[in-house]
Amino acid sequence: MVNPCSAFFVEVTELKQYLILCRSVTSAQRCARLLQSSLIRASVTKAPSGLTKAGCTYALLLHGKLENALSLLRSNKMPFGKVFSREDRGEWIEVQA
Amino acid sequence: MIYLDCAATSFQKPGEVLRAYERTLLSASSPGRGSYAPAMRASVAMLAAREAAAAFFNFPDPERVVMTMNATHALNIAIHALAQPGRRAVISGFEHNSVVRPLIASGMELSVAGRRLFDDESLLRDFRILLKGASLAVSTHVSNVFGYVLPIGEIARLCRQEGVPLIVDASQSAGVIELDWHELNCAYVAMPGHKSLLGVPGSGLLLCGQKQGTPLLFGGSGSDSRQKTMPDYYPDRFEAGTQNAPAAAALSAAIRYITKRGRKEIERHEQELCSHMRQLLQNREELQLFCPEGEVQSGVLSFRCSTLDCEEIAARLGEAGICVRAGLHCAPLAHESAGTIATGTVRMSFSPFNTHGEVEAAAAKLIKII
Repeated sequence: MVNPCSAFFVEVTELKQYLILCRSVTSAQRCARLLQSSLIRASVTKAPSGLTKAGCTYALLLHGKLENALSLLRSNKMPFGKVFSREDRGEWIEVQA
Repeated sequence: MIYLDCAATSFQKPGEVLRAYERTLLSASSPGRGSYAPAMRASVAMLAAREAAAAFFNFPDPERVVMTMNATHALNIAIHALAQPGRRAVISGFEHNSVVRPLIASGMELSVAGRRLFDDESLLRDFRILLKGASLAVSTHVSNVFGYVLPIGEIARLCRQEGVPLIVDASQSAGVIELDWHELNCAYVAMPGHKSLLGVPGSGLLLCGQKQGTPLLFGGSGSDSRQKTMPDYYPDRFEAGTQNAPAAAALSAAIRYITKRGRKEIERHEQELCSHMRQLLQNREELQLFCPEGEVQSGVLSFRCSTLDCEEIAARLGEAGICVRAGLHCAPLAHESAGTIATGTVRMSFSPFNTHGEVEAAAAKLIKII
C-alpha cells in the first residue's frame, strides 16, 4: 500500500538541515514554538558536542527556511548563538547568520 | 475534618492539579538533561509553568521565572543575590523567619519599619525614613500571622525613589490577592507554589527583575557544562540540580484552575469566610481578635484567649478534626509588632474549598472549648 504521507516525508528529509544553538533548553523551546507558530518546522535537540566549546547546549533543528527563521527570531528579540548547516557527508559547518 | 490552615499550605487541591502531577511523574524525567521524549516532556512542563506564572502575574519574561522548592528557597536565593555584609537592610515589622534569618546569616544589619498592626501610615513613614542609606529592602505583601495586607505598591514606589532594591515576599498573597509585576517593578518577588497558588509541596517561584546576583546553589544546569561557573542567564543561573517537573505541571494546572474560577472570586470567598468567623467570635469576652477596624483584609484571622493557652486551643480543636495553627507561626517579629510575642496566637486561614458551614462548625467547637 502506498503511504499518502511518503511524498511529504521525502520532501522534508531532502530539505537542508540547520542547527541554531540556544543558550538553554528554556530558550530553545520558546524559539521552537515561535517558529512553529509561523509554520517553520523546528524541533529542540541537544547540539553535537563538537559544535560548542561551552559543553552541553540545546539547539533548534530546522529543515530549510533558515533565513525566515533567523529573521523571525531577531524580530522577536529571541537570543540565539551560532548557526550550522548539515553538509552532504553529514558534517555540520558553521554558516554566517 | 475542617482544614483551616491554608496559610501553611493548601492541603486540599483541585483534582486537575493532582492529575497533572501524577501524569508528569509517570511520563517525564529530568528537564534540560536530554532531547529524548521523557526529558523533553519535563522541559515542556517547566516552560509551561513559567509561562503560566508570567501571564498570571503580568510578568514580561517567562525565562526570568525561576522554579524553586518553596518560598523560603526563593527568598534565600534573592537575599543571597543582593545582600551586602555590613550594609543595612530595611524590613517590615511583619516578616517571617524566612526573611529575617537569611538576612542575619548574610551579615546585614536590619532596620524595622512599621511596628503597629494595620497601620499603613506609620509603616510608610518608617520606610521613607529608613530607606535612606540602606542597600536592600524586603517586605512581605501579607502578614502570615495577622492577614495584614501591606501597601506593597507604595513600598515598592518608595524603594525605587531611593534606588534601593526591593524583595517582595508574596507567600500569603500569590494566587489570591492581586499581585501585578508592573505595579511592583522590583528586584525579586518570591512565593510558594503550594499555598494559595494551590500547587503541591516542593514548589515555589522567584520572579527575577533586572539585577543579577550571585547564585545560592551551584551545580549542574544542563547548559554550558564546561564552564566552572553558573550560566549568566536565567533561569539556569538559579536552577542548579534536577528540577521538579511534576510540581511544575501541577502548578500550571493550579494556575489554570484559579484563572477559571477567578482570583477575585477566590479572594472574595476567603474574605467572606473570615468575616463570618469574626462575626461569630467577636462578642466573646475571652477572645481577642486581631482585625482591622473596618473589614478583614484577607483570609487570615488570628486570636488569643484569656482563659486558655493558644497551643491548648489548637490541640483541642485538632482532636475534634479542626486544623488550625497556634504559636508564633515562624514570625516572632510580627508577634513583637502586635504585642503577642509572649502568648502567640491561634490562626485560622481559609481556602477556596472551605464553606460557611465549616466556619460555623469550627466557631461552635471553639466556643465550647473555651
